[in-house]
Amino acid sequence: MESLSGMALAVALATLGLWTMVARRNVLWKLLGLNVASGGSILFLVALSHRSGARPAIVGLGPGPAVDPLPQALVLTAIVIHFATLALALALLIVLTERRHTQDVKKLEEEG
Amino acid sequence: MNAALAGICGYLGLGVLGLVLGQGKILALLALIGGVTSLALWAPGFPEGLVGGLPFGIAVAGDLWALGIWGLALPLHLAVIVQGWRKDGLYHSLITVLIGTCLAGGISRDLFNLYVVLELSSLLSVILVAKEGRSAALWAALRYLLLAGVGMTLYLFGLGLVYGRTGSLAITVLSQMDFPHPSLRIGVGFLLAGTAVKAGVFLLGLWLPPAHGQAPTEISALLSGAVVKLGIVTLARIAEAFPVEPVLIFLGIVTGFGGIVYAIFERDLKIFLGHSTVSQLGYMLIGLGLGSWKAALFYTVAHGIFKGLLFLSAGMAVEAKGKRDIPDLKGGLPWPVVLGLALGTWAIVGLPPLAGFAGKQALSFQSPSWAKAAVIGLSLGTAVSFAKLLLLLKPKKGGTLGGFPFLAGGVVALGMWGFFLFPELLQLNPWLEAFSVVLFGYAVYRFALTKPVTIPRLKTDWAIFSILACTFILSLAVLFI
Repeated sequence: MESLSGMALAVALATLGLWTMVARRNVLWKLLGLNVASGGSILFLVALSHRSGARPAIVGLGPGPAVDPLPQALVLTAIVIHFATLALALALLIVLTERRHTQDVKKLEEEG
Repeated sequence: MNAALAGICGYLGLGVLGLVLGQGKILALLALIGGVTSLALWAPGFPEGLVGGLPFGIAVAGDLWALGIWGLALPLHLAVIVQGWRKDGLYHSLITVLIGTCLAGGISRDLFNLYVVLELSSLLSVILVAKEGRSAALWAALRYLLLAGVGMTLYLFGLGLVYGRTGSLAITVLSQMDFPHPSLRIGVGFLLAGTAVKAGVFLLGLWLPPAHGQAPTEISALLSGAVVKLGIVTLARIAEAFPVEPVLIFLGIVTGFGGIVYAIFERDLKIFLGHSTVSQLGYMLIGLGLGSWKAALFYTVAHGIFKGLLFLSAGMAVEAKGKRDIPDLKGGLPWPVVLGLALGTWAIVGLPPLAGFAGKQALSFQSPSWAKAAVIGLSLGTAVSFAKLLLLLKPKKGGTLGGFPFLAGGVVALGMWGFFLFPELLQLNPWLEAFSVVLFGYAVYRFALTKPVTIPRLKTDWAIFSILACTFILSLAVLFI
């Protein structure tokens, strides 16, 4: 049950983020939307690995079933990648804002 | 397997070392030598193995696709090193890491590993596009990052759905499983959509031609030559794991004709080449969908080489004249540029005996008649769109060679090799067909397309929206095949 609600939350987050990316004209908002959406995808993978009553996947935590460790390992990589993407995008946006004095997609796209 | 891994580690390690120490140029050459040695060591291929061992190792194999990608990326790297010999070490190091990423993508047979490779290639491409710092290039790079980010988020959701249902991410394991469950099918639709964004499939990847066009000369050649092919490889792997052939054929036809419409009416030389890349992806997707792997792979490699050549020549033309529109570039280009454009055009319209001929004809040998008709239609459109480059073919003396000889040699050699791979090419029919299609295409350009037409560019908001809409349609399509 917890796994299902985790997944529902993940899908809701992704929808919210992607909707922000479509609806907002400011590039900074679009970046935030992307970050929320990718956070949703990470939560989705974590929720997948959950089994009810399971322990964290750490060796030596005692008997009983443990959660699936593979999605959690994948998530670590994905978090690093999302961090790098966000950092790079913000750096580009800073330079672009200094040059063009706007963050509005419509204005950035004129004379692109 | 160890030889291939050593080659990739050499590439990534020397590239990163170059970023830290400087001296990128020498380290790039070292990496290239290491890569060629490694390819020579594993050359005919190696069986699938797990990097890191059981139970969570990453599956890699040296199959035909790996061979093709390595055979494409290494010559492109050589040409780009020579072309950009004057550039600084940082530039060479970044390119080395990017090529290493492509090599890793070639041998990878694991969905998550392919995700990492795709993301890494976007990050590096974005840095390389933006590096020269023109405002237009910065905006193209930021757009690239945003839209690729949307695609990769969708990919992660697809990956989660597939893993949740099957418990595996290895292509070989997935290919042996049944394909009945709806959530698995929706997941595969998401995977396809996410990869299609990176590969530049029509409507999902319409943002890609501007990015390719705004990049510096050598980087455009790499983006169109190697990075887009990484998306194609991933699509090929997905097609291997799940029976999605009808969807790929549909995507191929839409991409081919959609790309051609944009290519015919585009005036900016480099963006035109970017749109033409999108249209040529159509051939590869149709080939994948029809199950003629060999032809699709051959065209993937051939297109990488001659589109690299076209982009290098076009970039040199734009640098020489300081203008970008095709009519403004008319006349008086240096002879290596003209020869490169001529060879590239000759190859891409599919005239014998160069590389494009073998690739395009091989696709229609064993295919049903409707697929043959689609391929001929695409060839006709390619000929129409490239007819406008004939204006540029008036050389003058002088000019530097750059990376031109390697890629030109590659186009000719690959064309010759095509005759060995596909002996059917030596009959009269394919030759007649190729020449008549090109002549007809030129006639259409000369007599039917006299007025310039402007086609609206896809704005960023609409691009994101179209990615989401196409994802929905793709998932539905995979659900009901």
